[in-house]
Amino acid sequence: MAALLEVEGLSVHFGGLAAVKNVTFTIGEGERLGMIGPNGAGKTTLFNLLTGQLKPSGGKVVFKGQDITHKPVYARTQLGIARSFQITSLFPNESVLTNALIALQGTRAGRYRVWGVFKRDKALYAAAQGLLESIDLWEKRQEMVSSLAYGEQRKLEMGLSLASGPELLMLDEPSCGLTPTESKDITERIRALGKKITVLMIAHDMDLVFGVAERIILLHFGEISCEGTCDEIRANQTVKDIYMGSHKASTAAG
Amino acid sequence: MATRPADLLLGRLMRRAVAAPPVPVEGRSAAALLRTWAPAIAIILLMLVLPSFVPSYIQSLVTKMMIFALFGVSMNILWGYGGIPTFGHAAFFGFGGYACGILIVHGGISNFFVNLVLVVVLTALLGAGLGIPAFRVYGVGASDNPIYFLLATLAFGELLVRVAISARTLTGGSTGMSGIPWPDLGIPGITVNSSYTYYFLVLAVVVVCLILVYRLVNSHYGYALRGIHDNERRMQALGYNTWLYKYTSYIIAGAFGGIAGALFAYFGGVMVPGNMGMAMTDIVFLIVILGSASIYFGPVIGAVAVVGVEYLASVYLPERWPLIMAALIVVVIMVIPQGIGVMLLDLWRKVFRGRAA
Repeated sequence: MAALLEVEGLSVHFGGLAAVKNVTFTIGEGERLGMIGPNGAGKTTLFNLLTGQLKPSGGKVVFKGQDITHKPVYARTQLGIARSFQITSLFPNESVLTNALIALQGTRAGRYRVWGVFKRDKALYAAAQGLLESIDLWEKRQEMVSSLAYGEQRKLEMGLSLASGPELLMLDEPSCGLTPTESKDITERIRALGKKITVLMIAHDMDLVFGVAERIILLHFGEISCEGTCDEIRANQTVKDIYMGSHKASTAAG
Repeated sequence: MATRPADLLLGRLMRRAVAAPPVPVEGRSAAALLRTWAPAIAIILLMLVLPSFVPSYIQSLVTKMMIFALFGVSMNILWGYGGIPTFGHAAFFGFGGYACGILIVHGGISNFFVNLVLVVVLTALLGAGLGIPAFRVYGVGASDNPIYFLLATLAFGELLVRVAISARTLTGGSTGMSGIPWPDLGIPGITVNSSYTYYFLVLAVVVVCLILVYRLVNSHYGYALRGIHDNERRMQALGYNTWLYKYTSYIIAGAFGGIAGALFAYFGGVMVPGNMGMAMTDIVFLIVILGSASIYFGPVIGAVAVVGVEYLASVYLPERWPLIMAALIVVVIMVIPQGIGVMLLDLWRKVFRGRAA
């Protein structure tokens, strides 16, 4: 399995606080990697480093053999990295359809066109229909995003991330705030993406992680504290200590 | 809710008050198109016959309204669509006016169209120069808190005022530049030599510019700007180079503002340094706020209201018109915070479609 994303010794400091310390891992093509860890472990910070929203203090990020450590966010998206946001991040004042249209336009030619009429772009419209049908929101395309139910907004959140046709999809808590049924639905959807899209996912929801991921990384205080398959992680003592709490883990942390 | 200074200042006004009702992309019938555009066509027709029925001071007043409508619409590209408020838009207006005057008086370029093209190029260059430092302080997703950007743009305007005052040989210093003649169109048989004929020239230029801006804000580019207004971080994650959109929108808005300024220079025959400063920015701010930043024709309505009230107040209460203006803005913000434009649009929809927006 060829490596799609290679992360080497990635670190970031906020003043004296090292939020991510010397993180090294790789994701193979078609792999589904879960990332877990307690609150404040640096999961979202690491995500922001990988997508370019934060500049690292040290280390290297290589995507498809290309060093992208200092590339801006949009350039990484053009290369094939997409992300979703933990806090739903949509265009609330626009309709569901317009959200899809704007999302799809991001990586397509013609996004600087100043003369054509955006809402009458037939190719874009057809693509939006495909995208919204795949997340079962086509029937609601005329509704304002702000009037959608939360579960539907989360689905749209994932849908927008898929709009660029990414090779690497980074999901930040895709089931955040969802009911168990909705969460199961999201799990199925991620599994249904198949092997064409590599997935890196942060989640607190263990059912989701174990349901989706093939390999899991545990992040603790900004460092990779262990790494392994689902079964290995389930059996791992460090994981138990960190999640259940133990004297050893808290002193190690302190 | 409003805790930061920028919120207190702008929070309430900046929210996009209405989103257009979703329009099916499947295509609209000619009748539906006509119904949408009927008011605009009717207004243009009315404007064409208007000068024949009104005295010349009303012609001048309407000419001024048109110029400020273009000025307001140009600022609204930035503010209403891009979510980027600026305190320095008058810099482009005044710069365009001065550029026009200097080109005629010192440059010897009399042709109106050549002059207009040069004004557009020069204001665009100004925007390109000022935009780089300005957007460095704007950052990402700053439509929530654009205070540094506001201060930077405010400073640019005041800087240009100082330059205009000191460059006396070119600009006439603090007394301003006078003696800008009526434009020479260079078309045989058509001469512009009175406020009556100039009215039609302004009408033509403003209508063309409004169509161009309308196309712009409804294009792929325009929707990217709207997306940046709503959620810039998401736009970046979707692959948009948001900086480039913001930067170019600043240049484009500046260029249209420059055209408005050039029209204004011909209109009064005079440019004064104050036309680039805070006082003029206040006026365009009022135009956009009163008229609604959230709809395309908002600033047009705002320009009619502001220029109209300014005129009435200056006739009946010559020394107190800023007071009247201030009272007007307070009343509008308290009673119809979304602006007159949104109110009229709601009314229009109620009357013609039997439902509220």
